[in-house]
Amino acid sequence: MTYVLQRLLRSILLLLGVSLLCFLFTEMAPGSFFDEMRLNPQISPETIATLRSQYGMNRPLAVRYSRWLVSAIRGDFGYSVAYNAPVAPLLWTRAKNTLLLTLTATFLTWLIGVPLGLLTASARGKFADKVATPVSCFLLSVPEIVLAVGLLALVVRWRVVPVGGMMSLGFEDLSLWEKIRDIAVHMLLPVSILVLGGVAIIERHVRASVIEVLDTPYIQAARGLGIGRVRLLFRHVLPVAANPAISLFGFSIAALLGGSLVVEVVTGWPGLGPLILDATMSRDLYVVIGAVLLSAVFMIAGNLIADLMLLASDPRIRAGESNAT
Amino acid sequence: MRPKAWIVVLSALLAALHLAILAAGFIAPYDAASQNRDLSYAPPTHVHLRDASGWHLPFVYRWIPDPDGYREDTSTRYPIHFFTRGEAHKILWIFPSNLHLFGVDEPGRILIAGADSFGRDEFSRLLYGGQISLAVGLLATFITLAAATVVGTVAGYFGKWADEFLMALGELFLCLPWFYFLVGARAFLPLHVSAAGTFLLLIIVIGIIGWARPARLIRGIVLSARNRNYVLAARGFGGSNFYLLRRHILPETFAILLTQAALLIPQYVAAEATLSFFGLGVSEPVPSWGNMLSALQQYNVLVSYFWLLAPAAALVITSVMYWLLADVLHHWIQSHSIN
Amino acid sequence: MRSIARLTVVVCLLAASGWAAAPAPAAINSSEDLQRQDGDVGQYGGRLVIGQRAEPKTLNPVTATDAVSREVIGRCHADLISINRMSQKTEPALAESWKTSPDGRSFTLKLRKGIRFSDGQPFDADDVVFSFNLYLDEAIGSPQRDLLVMDGKPLVVTKLDQYTVRFTLPRPYAAAERLFDGLAMLPKHLLEKSYHEGHFAQAWSLNSAPAEIAGLGPFRLKQYVTGQRIVLERNPYYWKADRNNQRLPYLDELVFLFVGGEDQQVMRFEAGETDMVSRLSSENYSLLTKEQSRSGWQLADLGPSLEYNFLVFNLNDVNAGKMGEIARKQAWFRDLKFRQAASAAIDRDSIVRLVYGTRGTALWGNVGPGDKLWMNQSIPHPQRSLDAARQLLKSAGFSWNGSGQLLDPSGKPVEFTIVTSSSNTQRIKMATLIQDDLSHLGMQVHVVPLDFRAMLDRVFQSFDYEAAIMGLGGGDPDPNPEMNVWMSNGATHIWHLNEAQPATSWEREIDTLMQQQMITLNYAKRKQLYDRVQQIIAENVPFIFLATPDVLVGAKSQIGNFHPAVLDHYTLWNADQLYLRAATRGVERAGIR
Repeated sequence: MTYVLQRLLRSILLLLGVSLLCFLFTEMAPGSFFDEMRLNPQISPETIATLRSQYGMNRPLAVRYSRWLVSAIRGDFGYSVAYNAPVAPLLWTRAKNTLLLTLTATFLTWLIGVPLGLLTASARGKFADKVATPVSCFLLSVPEIVLAVGLLALVVRWRVVPVGGMMSLGFEDLSLWEKIRDIAVHMLLPVSILVLGGVAIIERHVRASVIEVLDTPYIQAARGLGIGRVRLLFRHVLPVAANPAISLFGFSIAALLGGSLVVEVVTGWPGLGPLILDATMSRDLYVVIGAVLLSAVFMIAGNLIADLMLLASDPRIRAGESNAT
Repeated sequence: MRPKAWIVVLSALLAALHLAILAAGFIAPYDAASQNRDLSYAPPTHVHLRDASGWHLPFVYRWIPDPDGYREDTSTRYPIHFFTRGEAHKILWIFPSNLHLFGVDEPGRILIAGADSFGRDEFSRLLYGGQISLAVGLLATFITLAAATVVGTVAGYFGKWADEFLMALGELFLCLPWFYFLVGARAFLPLHVSAAGTFLLLIIVIGIIGWARPARLIRGIVLSARNRNYVLAARGFGGSNFYLLRRHILPETFAILLTQAALLIPQYVAAEATLSFFGLGVSEPVPSWGNMLSALQQYNVLVSYFWLLAPAAALVITSVMYWLLADVLHHWIQSHSIN
Repeated sequence: MRSIARLTVVVCLLAASGWAAAPAPAAINSSEDLQRQDGDVGQYGGRLVIGQRAEPKTLNPVTATDAVSREVIGRCHADLISINRMSQKTEPALAESWKTSPDGRSFTLKLRKGIRFSDGQPFDADDVVFSFNLYLDEAIGSPQRDLLVMDGKPLVVTKLDQYTVRFTLPRPYAAAERLFDGLAMLPKHLLEKSYHEGHFAQAWSLNSAPAEIAGLGPFRLKQYVTGQRIVLERNPYYWKADRNNQRLPYLDELVFLFVGGEDQQVMRFEAGETDMVSRLSSENYSLLTKEQSRSGWQLADLGPSLEYNFLVFNLNDVNAGKMGEIARKQAWFRDLKFRQAASAAIDRDSIVRLVYGTRGTALWGNVGPGDKLWMNQSIPHPQRSLDAARQLLKSAGFSWNGSGQLLDPSGKPVEFTIVTSSSNTQRIKMATLIQDDLSHLGMQVHVVPLDFRAMLDRVFQSFDYEAAIMGLGGGDPDPNPEMNVWMSNGATHIWHLNEAQPATSWEREIDTLMQQQMITLNYAKRKQLYDRVQQIIAENVPFIFLATPDVLVGAKSQIGNFHPAVLDHYTLWNADQLYLRAATRGVERAGIR
């Protein structure tokens, strides 16, 4: 328990550090939200200056930071210049959609990835493994965005599922069952892209660590005793080989908000992706900082969960922790 | 095939690939930057052996623009010459030469893998592009993993404050808005960064951003390995920290390091194109697999010109070969150490 | 496949129920001063779906700065006087007529009587005065404000009676009626409160309830779904009718889907999920033309747009201590012959071919063939000539060394960097072509793509660049919006900003001519003055003009009254007249989900 409390304290400090560095980074980067207006010959520099001062952009960094802190404590997390609205509601409404997508994708990724890793490891050098290696390499080598555009191009031609988006027009009038079905049909494409990218990572790591364990003398011995293959894998090998998978699982949780941005933009999923991309490019700074902090929270949570799982899965680590104190 | 034969074959293939990329100037028929504006998006040249007059040594025809793209102008044959003179280049960046492995007489043009939008030979660009991409990919991965191993081991082995501090630092690095850092950093650099400067920059930036994840993975393994009974026993016998790490703990991380390497190399090759967005990458007209791949993000390119998938194919093939080699080697070493 | 078909049936039924919910056009009242529109008489009903690259940010016409928001807002509001997108000339809108005083300073507008906002409330002169107060209020900082302020003095709006308004300009202004285009007239009864309470900028956000928003455009807000779409429905009180005296618009609904980018716009259109697409790139356009015969889309190449892309050298006064390298190179850039040589060496035809896939036009001046009223036809279009370029360089004291490198008069090699926006692949392509073109002169050119705003910061703020490829224009064909580009003290005088006085005699001459054309009311005389401006620009090459893309658009074949224009908004400017042909409606609906 003290461990968790200690971690929470560290997390608050970390979030403060992240927010401060965010401000420093954004200060460093040239260009501001209103710069694009300079290209419009019908808007005078004076108007742009007025707008800048209205949004307090010409205040010193310290003033802006302290104001933002106050606003963050109030729960607004600053003000979006583009939307003329507080940041927190902008993020929340979209974060829900992102989570729907990523939770589904993460669940499927692990559901497929772990058994596949076990399979390829135990069938090492056999047919399944020989197919899996090039396929995994393909999925790891081709950038996600190219994969996404490629799949979209296929969908445009085959028309089996909608080309992006989340709901059909007239979604409101559907029955509950039809609503679920409609969203599921729309999710098929973005989830597939995310799963394809993720499965390869997990499969490869699980395969590597399972092979490592399979080669150890005690498993060789257990095999000699005639313990069934499946039982051997799930009861004896997997728990030992789980270590890197647990760290990866932490990353998966950390990536729940930030891991699907590209896919969301390409498939027009109404999550955080399009908002953050737009805000980043147009220097709508508080939206970006808000999003960074939100995903930092997920990262901290993910890593904490991973560490707790490590402790739970491996009594020796627990012993080590207490030894060290 | 036996593992040993596999190792020999894969090593030979990889060596050949790297040699071809190193000697790009000689093997590529054209300079990577030379444009041929009448051959924008020309498909791969067909190599023929016979025409109406009968059989010949391998030859090609010219592409002639056509409303539907290109068609072959069959009026003139352009035989493929080997060890022929062509555009000037430098072997290994030093020795000037104009000798090429193969080529055809002007105005014929042999485009093994077709042409890009400027009519530049995709095959030549692939070879030249491999130089920077593989160097960046391999070196940046090596540096990232070296840093990650040091950080992960220190955090996992010594635990407590070292662990708290290093892992918090890692989390910090993973969630910062690097976009603005890179835009900001670009403003402090000279307008034009030389090729060597770009190379260094790429590796530094990738290293800074990339170490945190693998460090956490390694830390997890070290954390569990350091409390294994035999490690504790070895410690009891007075084994020094360095000895324990080297003999018992680091070997446990080997499989994950290999897996991470296979994961990171292609990622870093593509990351180079992302950095080009900030003016930090390789800029026109110099090719890299990363910037060639990024052309595929455009819908019309992806669906219209299949030959521009060549860089993706090259990356996949290279990484499959590396992967297989690493796998076989790992297995071979392990079975030997057990025996 | 069958399940998909079933889903489409469900969606069809829904679509049908959706139409039923749309308000029917209000019966026409004889006291209403409706405008009769020419064009095909269409059929009521249906829904038009448009894919947007990004999400709109606001529904407030006074504060909106981004094009995507304006695309939506433009369909919900109307202006007093409009520029007809086809003829590019002004025509009556909410003002049914207007009179200009002989000195060109005062405009008296007669408003349409008896017309109503989309919430059914009447529109009159008070709304006009109120709207202009909003645009002119410095505290709101509307991007339209600068249009209405001349020499630091705002235009003055006076209500003469309930349906008559007078505008008084601080000084004569040519074609002043064009200023009214795009200035939405807003309902005083809905906005007065938030304005007086000082939070007008937050009014009419995306989350505002549809009942809080009203306008005089053909459509009104029905629904906003975060991150997904905005649905507009027919404004039942719209003030235009067709030849058969049926109230417009024909469409029940206009839906904007936020699809994420240009490629996604094309894919959704290709898949039949959207009905119209505009601002296509030439590559995507030719992709669609390949399928045109099968799909039966109406695709149109409308010819050159009003945008001009150019290469500009940094001629700003830079701090030689801090930016010595740039200051040294400016000796070349300031040399007219150097700029002319660069211009002569650039192969504009390849830019048109390779960047625009022949769907574009080479440019030698700031006014291109898309602007038929103002282009100076006598500006020469010299062929690309490396010989001419070499001659020019030689006469300016440049020379070549043994390996063909170009050396400046002091013997240093000529080497410079072109910056351009990394999000614009077309301009990066132009830079790559120019790099190759100029290498034939022995110049070593580097291409550096930068984040768009970082690049703007260099061009407008720090002056830390050598050359840049950019684009301007695209709005109104009139010369007035270009004032700030060509006036030496203009904020968009990119090659040399913040000139206290004209740096060169030709800039001084342009200043005088531009000032003159602005107060000259006669078109022929104005044209003469502007022709001379174009000539001076072409001779002195402050920008090296490259090319302009064609305006490329597409729509499904059953859309009637599809008359795309080269001016913004290319396909939706006549959204009030667009309709779906009934014969194909039912069939085609099956393809839409």
